[in-house]
Amino acid sequence: MILRILFACVTCCAAPFALADVWQTDQGSGKLTFSATQAGAKFTGGFESFQVRLDFDPSKPANGSLHVTVATPSIDTADADRDEILRSRDFFWAEQHPQAVFHAERIERDGSGWRALGQLTIRGVTKPASVRFALAPDFDKLSMKGTASLHRLAFGLGQGDWASTEWIGDEVDVNFELTLARSAIR
Amino acid sequence: MPARNTSERYGYVAQGLHWLIVGLLIVQVTLAKIAAGLPLGLDRLALLARHKSFGITILALAVIRLGWRLYDRPPPLPPMPRWQLVAARVNHAALYILLFAMPITGWIMSSASNYPVSWFGLVQLPDLAAPDRALKELLKLVHKSLSYGLFALVGLHLAGALKHQLVDRDGLLFRMLPWRPQ
Repeated sequence: MILRILFACVTCCAAPFALADVWQTDQGSGKLTFSATQAGAKFTGGFESFQVRLDFDPSKPANGSLHVTVATPSIDTADADRDEILRSRDFFWAEQHPQAVFHAERIERDGSGWRALGQLTIRGVTKPASVRFALAPDFDKLSMKGTASLHRLAFGLGQGDWASTEWIGDEVDVNFELTLARSAIR
Repeated sequence: MPARNTSERYGYVAQGLHWLIVGLLIVQVTLAKIAAGLPLGLDRLALLARHKSFGITILALAVIRLGWRLYDRPPPLPPMPRWQLVAARVNHAALYILLFAMPITGWIMSSASNYPVSWFGLVQLPDLAAPDRALKELLKLVHKSLSYGLFALVGLHLAGALKHQLVDRDGLLFRMLPWRPQ
């Protein structure tokens, strides 16, 4: 471990951290959570399974791309009843749409971080969306942290009675924090 | 009727709190019963959200009521055998404990199942526990068991009041009523 830290220090000092590369989610690392409002109270849930691929060169952000795939059946809100409803046809319809996808081929500066502008597809509905994120080198890896927000009803998340915003708010905030490793496949 | 208790009866503060809580308890039992019979869905969510808001209301009223009771002592009970005095005291104490325990166990249960509680959608209350399935199941059992305890105590309380009214005819019931028959 100490050797690894020394090595990382030496390589960091010797040459600026080379960010330009294709990065992928490190298996089993990271959190993708969302917070939504039910009956006037915010609660947090998450997805257990998702993948991120970031092709990024900070000197040429416009050429970068961000691709996120989320396994909708892996939704987890710490309540089996609610998870069942969220996986049902009334919400994610996970059987029919097992993946939610965000794909951006445009990345721009956003304050001290970045913003990826692309398309978000959930439940078969595609809408423009943007994801704000920050990157920080973590030895030979890259830690990525970011947020997005969306309106659930724009994607049909909430059919029938659930389309009412009286008990369940329309706005959903998404947060993620993960570690990316250099991808073997370019 | 004065705000404070007299030696004859409760004042309107104590009476108001008593009857308001009685009314809310009836609402609570009704909401819980209806919700238990509903399938998972928006109606159930809405009813349970109201149940939680009323529960928090009862908790707040219980705090006020206990404070008021300590500040303004209840009128003395009519003469009765000692065991009845003790029974009445124990029953009252247990009812007070449940007025706190019911909403608090419900609140912890809601927190443990990752349904943070809001008061009528106006204020979000802090979570009393982190999401935890086992804790939720335990609290669900405790909350339900306590509700049966509450029914039993209310039954005894009511039976005692009626016995004094109809058998002893000592007018005890009027201590908690705004009027008195001429």
